[in-house]
Amino acid sequence: MILLASSSPERLSDWKQGVRGFSHISCVGSFDLLRDKIVRSKPQILLLDDELPGLDSPSHITDLKKLSPETRIVILGCALSDDAEWELFKVGVRGCCKKDIDPKKLVSVIAAIQQGELWIRRSLTCRLLHELGMIALEKNQIKQAASDLLANLTRREHEIATLVGNGENNKQIAQRLEITERTVKAHLTEIFRKLKVADRLKLALIVTGSLGKHN
Amino acid sequence: MQIVTVAIADEDAGRRTKFENCLQGEEDIMVLKNATTSEGEMTIDRRLNPRKNISAIDNIVAMIRRLNPRILLANLKLCTDEDCAMLLSLRRECPETLVVLLADESVQQEEQVMQALASGARGFLSPEADSRYLSKAVHVIDRGEAWVPRKMLGKIMDQVLQWCLENSIEVHLDPAR
Repeated sequence: MILLASSSPERLSDWKQGVRGFSHISCVGSFDLLRDKIVRSKPQILLLDDELPGLDSPSHITDLKKLSPETRIVILGCALSDDAEWELFKVGVRGCCKKDIDPKKLVSVIAAIQQGELWIRRSLTCRLLHELGMIALEKNQIKQAASDLLANLTRREHEIATLVGNGENNKQIAQRLEITERTVKAHLTEIFRKLKVADRLKLALIVTGSLGKHN
Repeated sequence: MQIVTVAIADEDAGRRTKFENCLQGEEDIMVLKNATTSEGEMTIDRRLNPRKNISAIDNIVAMIRRLNPRILLANLKLCTDEDCAMLLSLRRECPETLVVLLADESVQQEEQVMQALASGARGFLSPEADSRYLSKAVHVIDRGEAWVPRKMLGKIMDQVLQWCLENSIEVHLDPAR
């Protein structure tokens, strides 16, 4: 289903014309109605006028995403700046285009979005790559910091830390390493002291961090 | 008219010539030939000297610094960790040169390509791509934009959002921070 949201009947009629080839199409004229509709019908695609009354900030789009996470949102705006548009992508919209887009072109926009593509202006693509680069850098730093911490452990402690990272409890660790639970506890106390962490959850975060996160 | 300088790094001489020929038809693109290197060949061949990775990367960086192309088309078939290290060095040492990968977009490679993009590559295109795309990509990247298929942009955005989400969750898990 494709949901169109705008308070302008002319826009709605233009967009409707453009998407008439699709089966379920529905229209709403205000943010409140949109909230209701999106919860009830979980549309696959939402074409959203950025001037829809009640839609005042990108956080409203975050709310919509919470109400229906699977809905892919396309914003139709006029003369959005690069910064404003980027802000929208950061809250999860999948595409931005001009409000007065040739209705025939809407079909290609929707087809692209349905295939998981991003409908983004070229001048923003580099910003996206930059963001990806920064994340990679941060991941590496976390990984490095975690490995540095773990490097202070003895071999046995490292072994136990890894098992904690795998989610094993003291009893399981004791059985696996053929030592008593009391010894496991003693090792853990020492590990916590060395790494300056208070509990096994944080230890597990460090261990998994050192391995790097894979999606 | 601003001329865009391009260098091509491909261990396959035939393919390199093909790319050179493709681009030479464009009046605002100048292909820098590899004649400036003492070895006579400008290749990014990871087999060249596997035990001296660091110096192999240094060599490439020095070569690119000498040639100083605006665009470097680099054939990195596998986008290995070593290739990514080289991309990071190039980004640091030769920020004026923008690197485009000549790599096949296949599913098993997607993760590696993504990693190369995270290491500073500004785009990638298939070595088999139509020559029209080659010159178009050069111009687009010269303008400061990326040359990445929309589908991959979608996946990159997913990763960026996922990262933001994970980090906000970690903050919640750890109220002491």
